[in-house]
Amino acid sequence: MTLKKILVLDGVTAVCRFRDDGVVMAAEGMLSPDLMVRLAKFAQWYRRMVSGNTDLLSLFSQMRGWSPSQGWIVQGDAMTVCSVGNMVCMFENAQGSLNQIMQALGEAAHE
Amino acid sequence: MRIVKQLMAIPGVIAAGEYAYRGDRFSYEGALTDEFARIASILCRANTMSVNMQSEIFDSFAENCGCRPVQGWIVRGAQITVCTVGNYFSFIENRDELLNDVMTIMRAKVGDVQGDLLVNLYAKLGGDTKEALY
Amino acid sequence: MDLKKLMDLPGALAAFTYSDKGDLQSHVLREGTGLSAQVLDLLARSCVANLAIASMEARGWEAVTGQSGFQPIKGFSVVGLEWSVVVDGNCGVVIKNRDADYEAAFKAVQAG
Repeated sequence: MTLKKILVLDGVTAVCRFRDDGVVMAAEGMLSPDLMVRLAKFAQWYRRMVSGNTDLLSLFSQMRGWSPSQGWIVQGDAMTVCSVGNMVCMFENAQGSLNQIMQALGEAAHE
Repeated sequence: MRIVKQLMAIPGVIAAGEYAYRGDRFSYEGALTDEFARIASILCRANTMSVNMQSEIFDSFAENCGCRPVQGWIVRGAQITVCTVGNYFSFIENRDELLNDVMTIMRAKVGDVQGDLLVNLYAKLGGDTKEALY
Repeated sequence: MDLKKLMDLPGALAAFTYSDKGDLQSHVLREGTGLSAQVLDLLARSCVANLAIASMEARGWEAVTGQSGFQPIKGFSVVGLEWSVVVDGNCGVVIKNRDADYEAAFKAVQAG
């Protein structure tokens, strides 16, 4: 599942694969290079934060199934940013299918 | 660990220790069990990650405004306070003047946190700063 | 909340109040700090998040360890390079680290 295949999904405006230090590995879409770098950095931080929170949830709830965390979704008024593993994507709510996009991101992340 | 011993010598300091990035490397002295210290280590890591991210965001709106790099954080509980500077943490009682004393010592001894978060978190306990999250 | 009282704290650079969701409601800024209303607005939102996370952590810690004394949370502080922000409830203050009196700051925001 290449980035281009994710970009052509309905509503997707940008998709990026990032390294664990936040550096952009590959990016496609309508964001400027500067904004892609910011998106990757943001996604890297969020991944760490969510990982921290799921660790806490696991500890406190003693439940299996929270860690390791797989991704996160932030749904805005008209736009959504979502991530699985080291892939992050931005799409317009009116056209994008969250389920389809998360599925695609998951496939790409595990390649 | 000298800072930990110094802190533990102060009346009202319940526990103090070091924590690392993944929460699986830590050391401590005081009224904690190994398991509680491990949980504390993971808590400290989560909060440190979080405030570091926040300060990067603030910095992008007001560069050099004085918040980066983040030195630490404090959680003020009802009777107990947790303070963290760099990769050291302490649990202290909420008695008069103690928080100020503890923060003064911690910031003087370990408050030279530089920009790279992972380097800081591994500084004393060792480990691979390039270690991937997954 | 009397922001002027917060500004009387040693090293105070800014004082602010915010809604439960983090909307900045009022603020006072000392000149020449490099802080702005925009940064205070971001700070307010992050403080709401941090207080909520701290409450979750306190609850979880007490449940898992059986210890007490952490709940209810009485404040949170982020210690930056040159300044710290201290918050509780719906108000916060930014204080210069060099002059910081954390205990007085916590007491002051708790009074709000």
